[in-house]
Amino acid sequence: MKQVGSNKETFSLKSRLKRLKRDSNRWSIFTLIIVLFLALPIIFIGVELFSGPGETWNHIVQHLLPEYIWNSLYLVVFCSVLVLLFGVSSAWLVSRFEFPFRKQLEWLLILPLAIPSYIVGYAYAGMFDYGGSLDLFFRAMNFDFIRIDIMNRAGLAFVLSISLFPYVYVSARAFFLNQANNLLEASKMLGVGERKTFFKLMLPLARPAIVAGLVLVLMEVLNDYGAASYYGVNTFTTGIFRSWFSLEEPETAVYLSALLIIIIFALILFEKWQVRKVKFTSSKTNNTHIQRKETKKSIQWVIFSVVFLPVLLGFVLPVGQLIYWAFITASTVFDLEFILISLQSFGIAIVSALITVFFALLLIYFSKWSALRFIKNIARIGVLGYAIPGAVIAIGIMIPTIALDKWLIDVLAQFGIDSGLIINGTLIALFYAYAVRFLAVAYNPIDSTALKVDNSIPDSSKVLGVGNLKTFFKIEFPLIKTGVFSAVILVFIDVMKELPLTLILKPYHIDTLAVKAFEYASDEMVMEASIPSLFIIFTAMIPVIFLNKLLIKK
Amino acid sequence: MKRVLVTIVAFALFTACGDNSTKEVKETETGQVVNVYTHRHYEPDQNIFKMFEEQTGIKVKVINASADELIQKMKMEGEQSPADVLITVDAGRLSRAKEQGLLQSIQSEVLENAIPSHLQDVDNQWFGLTKRARIIAYAKDRVKPEELTSYEDLVSERWKGKILVRSSSNIYNQSLMASIIANDGEEGAKKWAEGIVANMARSPKGSDRDQVKAVVAGEGDIAIVNSYYIGKMLNSPDAEEVATAQKIGIFFPNQEDRGTHINVSGAGVAKYAPNKENAIRFIEFLISEEAQTVFTNANFEYPILESVEPVEDIKVWGDFKEDNLELDKLGENNKKAVLIFDETGWK
Repeated sequence: MKQVGSNKETFSLKSRLKRLKRDSNRWSIFTLIIVLFLALPIIFIGVELFSGPGETWNHIVQHLLPEYIWNSLYLVVFCSVLVLLFGVSSAWLVSRFEFPFRKQLEWLLILPLAIPSYIVGYAYAGMFDYGGSLDLFFRAMNFDFIRIDIMNRAGLAFVLSISLFPYVYVSARAFFLNQANNLLEASKMLGVGERKTFFKLMLPLARPAIVAGLVLVLMEVLNDYGAASYYGVNTFTTGIFRSWFSLEEPETAVYLSALLIIIIFALILFEKWQVRKVKFTSSKTNNTHIQRKETKKSIQWVIFSVVFLPVLLGFVLPVGQLIYWAFITASTVFDLEFILISLQSFGIAIVSALITVFFALLLIYFSKWSALRFIKNIARIGVLGYAIPGAVIAIGIMIPTIALDKWLIDVLAQFGIDSGLIINGTLIALFYAYAVRFLAVAYNPIDSTALKVDNSIPDSSKVLGVGNLKTFFKIEFPLIKTGVFSAVILVFIDVMKELPLTLILKPYHIDTLAVKAFEYASDEMVMEASIPSLFIIFTAMIPVIFLNKLLIKK
Repeated sequence: MKRVLVTIVAFALFTACGDNSTKEVKETETGQVVNVYTHRHYEPDQNIFKMFEEQTGIKVKVINASADELIQKMKMEGEQSPADVLITVDAGRLSRAKEQGLLQSIQSEVLENAIPSHLQDVDNQWFGLTKRARIIAYAKDRVKPEELTSYEDLVSERWKGKILVRSSSNIYNQSLMASIIANDGEEGAKKWAEGIVANMARSPKGSDRDQVKAVVAGEGDIAIVNSYYIGKMLNSPDAEEVATAQKIGIFFPNQEDRGTHINVSGAGVAKYAPNKENAIRFIEFLISEEAQTVFTNANFEYPILESVEPVEDIKVWGDFKEDNLELDKLGENNKKAVLIFDETGWK
């Protein structure tokens, strides 16, 4: 990144403008266009803010806001602790140690992400409630006085953490695998112990990667509607739905969304700030993989248990419950249509993952090639979509696209063509919405690998007169491939699970598995929802395993 | 490896877009369609739609989402909206759609005559399809039905720490509160809500089925729930859930005065319906005897058509007096209901 400002220059408006003129290039313009495109729905929602909140705003501030803030804070704190515990420990252990079933666990640890968190919530409630599997187990053991209530705030924090920790695991492991070897060797040579190496060296260096994952988790936590409303925990997001739908005041919902966005923005700034503090680029980009340590067999099994625990809680148990439900409902629910719907979901998810990753790459590199420093920060506006509830984004998408559709209808009518809605109700609107919503999911893993690329290589390529694009394809892309692939998987899985936005924007007769699962769950047919949920999980597993192999081979 | 990736992408594009385009073609070929925006995510509804398609040759195209989202969608689509019919699971949402000018009045003698007048809109903008009652489920071993009388009586000392009821975000609770406002006034409703909150066994959470389970588990003695969920529990694939439902008794409140609160799932024709005639035929079909039979047999709702008997599982609870409140009132009072819930701390 070029240094633009310096103390010598005076900060008069004139010199600023001059600088702006000197440093702006076409990449700055391109970045702005893309940011504008992606931020359009958010801007439309933002414009709504100027019309003021609805008349119940005071009512909400008085009766509900304290609870929303308190519950959301509680979730942020407890989920952070749990997610770091599960995510970082497992990432380090699979990267550093050899133990039984390590290879399998490496990808099993990603799988909790494949289950929508509200489904995990239902599965756990199903296990713990009266007549649930755990309850029956206690009854069989004559412990029927034991009843654990999981449907509360702490239970929600647990459920969200156990289904979201893989975000941290994925980014931390990518760091440990690709960056940690040299440092580890150096540390070993200096005679530093295993524990000290981890806490004093690895953890601080991995911080940017870990925090990037954590920010994603927290956005998702703040955005959760399904699990929170089922567990009876009122958060900002449940409040947004309440004021929008129950109180019939979209403008108040927009105000709550804006507050939520401010919180998310604070999280993003926090991430920026702490990454700046620990800025480093590794001297060698093509590191060898970390050398795994062989320990005593007994210790290996201890490590296995620690790593297996999050898999057990986040995948095996909920999936076990779902399989049991699927088994007893299969005769009524299953039909061939599910295969078709699975294919549709799969196709939609892959295409939108690629589109979203493409936009993320454009944003990251265009803003990098732009000489203006503030452009990089503007690019970050593009990731805000992840913080906004899907239903709100859907509305933000519909406002401009319907306006465009109406204009197109008028224009085409002049040529005697009766077109109807062209963008709305087609996959175009849906793909656009996914890109807006999930850009952050693609942006972060790519950005954190891109940061680690030593700038001297692309810089020297450019000094030799090779253009930005060519340098990117020849030199930078191969170096950030792991980041790009993780981005594709993560967006893919998110799209597979996505619900509110899909419900509103999806075309007729296109069904996704998440929609199917929701149809059952929303009518209290949680058991029947298990079959589409299992299909989501298995469809999502295919690329996870496939791409994980790719990562390891590299 | 590259080839594999390319294949996947090509395949994905094919399934995602290919399927879409073939559907579009079919649409224009047949011509006769009815576009249905529905909040009823029930499997049996699919069968009813199929029956309609077979009898009329009119293709039923469905968008499933919550009524709130569908209303919002129709509002934004405006004159271009493809929606012909809006179906919701409560009357409040229908009257809200009417208020926002999303529905139109229709002429249909079939609907006019078959549906009781308080269960349809005065301007013929929407019509009830099925009924559900908000009943009290009680633990047979701890509660004698004689101890129960009305919703209003639930605030008495007897039920301190004994009442289970779900969150106030739930539309069925909002509608119940709206009916209490209509009957007892805002002040009375507020006092009632305070009393219920004070008597709650736990902070509201979970679904109606969860409230029933909590009663049997002994967390409380009575639960305020929708009738058709009990029917579903009694027919659950999970034997444990069936056993649970069998342990509770059903009580219809307010039999001595206005009757038990009922709500309807209903339908209306969209203001800008491109296929208005088909839409009317479709709604008429939904209250035909065969459709009504499916509604009650497979989904345990009370049929709106008097000539159709409710399914055995719910028929055994006996006939009951229904609150004949004009259901338009539920929509009118909905917002007030939510405000009262918040003020009294009913989460």
